[in-house]
Amino acid sequence: MTLALHARGLEKRFGAVAALRGVDLELESGQCLAVLGPNGAGKSTLLRILAGLARPSAGQLRVAGRDQQALRRGAARALVGYVGHATLLYSELTAHENLVFTARMQGVAEPGRRATELLETQDLAHVAARRVGTFSRGMSQRLSIARALVHDPELLLFDEPFTGLDRGAADALAERLAALRDGERSCVLVTHELHQASRLASEAIVLAYGRVVARARGGSLERAELEAAYARAAGATP
Amino acid sequence: MRVILAILWKDLVSEWRARERLMAMLVFSLLVVVTFHFALPAGTGREQIQANAGGLLWVAYVFAALLGLNRSFAQELENDALSGLALAPVDRGAVFVGKAVASFVLTSVVQAIVAFAFAIAFDLDWIGQAPRLAGIVALGTLGICSVGTLFAAMAVRTRFREVLLPILLLPALFPVLAGCVRATSEVLAGRAIPYDAVQLLIVVDGIYWVVSYLVFEYALDE
Repeated sequence: MTLALHARGLEKRFGAVAALRGVDLELESGQCLAVLGPNGAGKSTLLRILAGLARPSAGQLRVAGRDQQALRRGAARALVGYVGHATLLYSELTAHENLVFTARMQGVAEPGRRATELLETQDLAHVAARRVGTFSRGMSQRLSIARALVHDPELLLFDEPFTGLDRGAADALAERLAALRDGERSCVLVTHELHQASRLASEAIVLAYGRVVARARGGSLERAELEAAYARAAGATP
Repeated sequence: MRVILAILWKDLVSEWRARERLMAMLVFSLLVVVTFHFALPAGTGREQIQANAGGLLWVAYVFAALLGLNRSFAQELENDALSGLALAPVDRGAVFVGKAVASFVLTSVVQAIVAFAFAIAFDLDWIGQAPRLAGIVALGTLGICSVGTLFAAMAVRTRFREVLLPILLLPALFPVLAGCVRATSEVLAGRAIPYDAVQLLIVVDGIYWVVSYLVFEYALDE
């Protein structure tokens, strides 16, 4: 069994505040893990640590077999594709230019061709020459996903990708994420949307006050089970 | 080189379309020139102006550069693009060089316009000294943009970045400004370039570029 993700005792402190308190995780390659929890539970902090954007205060982490030290060095950062709260895009550049820039930074061969290909798969080819600053939230989110896919990463990390989207756009995005999951990539999805989590993820954890308070596993997650765990987490005390 | 060129291209294209940094730097430094013009007592002789022009010019240049360096990383905060840079599997030293060279190019454009405006405002004839002046200004600006880019990256995620950058940067610029002001004043007065000042600038620039290149790896971390 190959593990896309393996974390033991992850902790993160910001001064006196503990954002994560000993999180253990395992995710097999090709699986999708949903991370649920109320605001302030430590979900985004966990995702930023998994991406290599923040250092844990304690604990061990391996992504696709590489340890944390390797992840913080240049080449291993290409293992991960990250879609954050924000889009990580440049408003003054066009959609095509944003992807070409990212492809150059990732060392992708033929950046222009790769950018065009991704714009087509995300249904953004018709706005390729438009500046990103003029995009709707839904279009920006699709472009942000294309950006994360530029270098064909092994592990995709999504931080609340449905935030700010209307129902139609959220469903369309969920379909795209399902297609990515079926493409045998591993993914971690941080979300408040329980129905999207139960639809997309094969495993789920619920965080509260930096601790894992519930886990669910299986081919299709029961929404009722997740709702019960989420309700328990929302009522949990530190 | 691929990364340096990509960053340089991105920064210059973004600036060409937004013109935020250029306009802010230009308006501020031209205001400084105008203020000096009115501050000098009536009847101040050309020789006196010529003797002080180096210092006056570098006041405008340094504050314009501070504005530009602050914006250089502030624009990376929009949409959290800075995280995108931090995630790229590249040598972060190359990111530093790309950002510093972009700042150098933009600052140089502003400096050229300000020098022209300064010469007009004070009725000075610098045409003969232009190549030597450009060389000294370029050396000084290289020093400012190297350590300025490093400090801007360190300050950008803090709440007081607008204040923190000058506090960090200005003390570090003392040796650069000492060399620049002296060399500029000598050149504008029509005298020979003081090579000890130029040597100081070359050594300080070299140290600042090497140290900034090496330390930048940690400047992008949270």
